[in-house]
Order: sequence, then C-alpha cells, then structure tokens
Amino acid sequence: MKKFDPRTRIIIVFLISSAALMIRQLAPLLSLLLLTLILCKLFSIPLLGSIKKLKKLWYFFFVLALVQSIFTSGGETLVSIGSFRLLTTLGLQSGISIITRMSIIIYSALIIASAPPLEIVYGLIAMKLPYEIAFMVLLAMKFLPLIKEEFSDSIIAVQLAGADLDKIPMKRKLSLYTYILTPSVIKALHRARYISLSMECRGFRAYPSRTNYCKLKMKRADYMAMLATAVCLLIITV
Amino acid sequence: MSFYTIDSLTFSFAKECKLFQNISIEIEENQHIGLIGPNGCGKTTLVKLMLGILKAKEGAIYLEGKNINDISLSKVGKTVGYVFQNPDKQLFCPTVWEQMNFSYKFGGNADQGGINDKIHYYLEVFDLMKYRDSSPLELSRGEKQRLALASVLARDVKFLILDEPTTGLDILRKKQLEKCLMTLKEEGKGYMIISHEGKFLTSFVDKLLTLGPKGVESN
Repeated sequence: MKKFDPRTRIIIVFLISSAALMIRQLAPLLSLLLLTLILCKLFSIPLLGSIKKLKKLWYFFFVLALVQSIFTSGGETLVSIGSFRLLTTLGLQSGISIITRMSIIIYSALIIASAPPLEIVYGLIAMKLPYEIAFMVLLAMKFLPLIKEEFSDSIIAVQLAGADLDKIPMKRKLSLYTYILTPSVIKALHRARYISLSMECRGFRAYPSRTNYCKLKMKRADYMAMLATAVCLLIITV
Repeated sequence: MSFYTIDSLTFSFAKECKLFQNISIEIEENQHIGLIGPNGCGKTTLVKLMLGILKAKEGAIYLEGKNINDISLSKVGKTVGYVFQNPDKQLFCPTVWEQMNFSYKFGGNADQGGINDKIHYYLEVFDLMKYRDSSPLELSRGEKQRLALASVLARDVKFLILDEPTTGLDILRKKQLEKCLMTLKEEGKGYMIISHEGKFLTSFVDKLLTLGPKGVESN
C-alpha cells in the first residue's frame, strides 16, 4: 500500500463526514458510503473485522433507525396496526438514511484511527494547529481505550470478588456501577496527571514552538487521492 | 478428581507465536504450588486462564470437574481468591472498609457479626486499621498490596492464587504474609503463588513449577 501523508487522511475524512451531514437524499448517501468503503480499502482498513469489532454500536444504530422509521410519517403505508401507520415509505427511507450516515462517519473515522497517532499529531501541527492542541487530540485518542480498560478490569475484579452481575437486582446493580465508575475515572485522571508530568519533564511547552524529527511532505499520490475524493463528492452531490 | 485440572493447554495472543504449549497440570485443593518463570513467559496469562478471565483456544481447564468456560466469573471468585499482580486493578471501593466488606455485601454471605471480626482481624494483621475510612486510591503502593491481600484472605475461599504477593511489601509485612500463609497451611487451604523470589517460594510451597515456552516443568 502507498503510504499517505496524515494530512491527506485528515482532509479526506473532513470532506466525507461533512458531505455525510449535508446530503439529505438516500441515493447520494449510499453512493457516499460506497466511496468511503473504497477509500477504506485504499487505506488498508479491514472492513469485516471492523464490523465485528463495532457489533454493539451497530445494534444501537439499528434501534435508532427503527425508532426513526416508526416516528417519521409520510409516504405510503407499508405496515399498519388498525388505523395506526407503523411504517411508511418515508419512515423506512429515513431509517436507512440514519444507518448509512452513521456508517459513513464511522468508516471515515477509521481512516484516521488506523494511522499511527503520532503521525496524525504531526499532520495537525503541519496544518498550523497549535502543538498543544494537537497533543491534546493524541491524548484524548489514547485515553478512550484506557478508560474502557480500567472499567473492564474493575468489572472483572468485582466479579472475582463474588458479585454476580446477572443476579443482582437493578437498584443494587446501579449502586455497584457507581462503585466501579468513580475509581475508574479517578484512576484515569491520575494517569492523565502522570502523563502530563512526564511530558513536562521532557520539555513540553517549554518553548513556544516545537521541532519534530519527522518532516511531512505531500507527494503526488496524496494530491491525487484528495482530488479524486473531491471530484467523486462533487459528482455525488450534484 | 483434582481441584484444578489443566489439560493440554496451549495459548497464544497472536496466531504465529504460541506463548506456551501443551500444559497439563493437576492441582489438589490443599496443595501449595509455586510458579516461577522469566518475565513475559505467561505466568499471569496462565492464571487468567485458570480463573476464566481469558478463554483457552486449545486444551481445557477444569475447576472441581467443571470446564472453567462454563462457570461464571463470580462463581469462580467464590471458590478461588485471586490477588492481582497490580493491586490498583483490584481496588474499586470508596473506602478500605467497604473494600474488605464487598464480597460479603455483594457476594451473598450473611452473619455480619462474624464478618466484622474477620475484617478487623485482617486489617490489624496488615496494619490497615487506621485507613479504614480512607479511599484505597490514597494508599501507597505497599499499602494497596497489603489491602489487596487482606481483602482476599478475609474471604472464605477454598483456594488462593497470589500473583507476586511480596511486591512492595517491607520485611515486617512480608513476615506477616508468611504468617498468613502458615495459617492457611494449618487450615488445610491450598494456594498457588507466582513469584520471582525463589527463597520465599521454597519455604512455603510443596511443589515448584517452572513455566517456559515448551510447557511446565516440575522441580
């Protein structure tokens, strides 16, 4: 695979996700999803693997689409209970649009998420973003899995301490989750403090600007990829 | 029937590189086992497999005759007490007292009177009574390790797994841990200790296992 400049990834994701939010019709949205999937392939993102990893999120989107379908009226009735129109053509279209839009946003985000985090930071700095903010983005990207890990470790500890989460009544379960959630957040904050300390020990923010070992340079392939994406977006939207 | 039966266990995180292969061990309920091995050889991973936190792809582990994959973590926790390698991962309650009392409060044990005495005893043994209303997160590394040990020892489990229990303990607390291990031995309770301290292990275990990439060797 050709190695793309991180700025190419950032710009492509910005273009695609903006288009996903602006396009209202279903057919262009589906074309945009197809374009996103092609781009994901170009950036070597395993599509099937990511579908499996985000399984719970798809369920949530499916429920969201179902609710949207039911509560959007208009068009021809497809399913009805007595005089109540349960599903209409417009509702169905609206539900499919939601799933498609979310898929586009998630897959386009994977284009950035699959890149080494430090490269994205260099890309943001090269795009004239203050380096403090660029590193904040990096830390935020690193912290989400850390909080998740802290929480799942606590869940394991709770279960190994003998608490059966499936059998505990809802009220006690809620108090149990507050037990777990509070220290997980505190531990994550502690880690954040240590990271900020170690960064400052290495001279972070000691000077107004920061030099990087890695110098980014846009190549022909980067311009081609961005141009091709922009042209495809134009064709889709017009 | 052995308490723990590990049958032809092979485990790997990545497909290409096997962490350990074809491990078969039988552990009795009142046996005292030591597990040693170099860093990264999979000692903690083996323990996680024995507790059902990780699932074995090849081979099987049986706890009291039942496949560990068919037993819920909470049921395993009621039978086997586990002291984590990193005590931070084990401490999640707002206060030291609640941490000690958690298993009784949420694990379904009654007789709070007897429980309070037990908790008092272990807090005294590990010199943690003065912290009973403090948050476990405010304790030092060694104090957290002592609390993790105390909270597991205070529970009525059949078997204990201690993952590097001496880390962060001073000489006095190590002696207290040794005393607790002696008491466990006298009570007829079994345990498995993972440690790099050969001298400590040889004094308190009946069988020393060495874990390597090709499996387990008994010394």
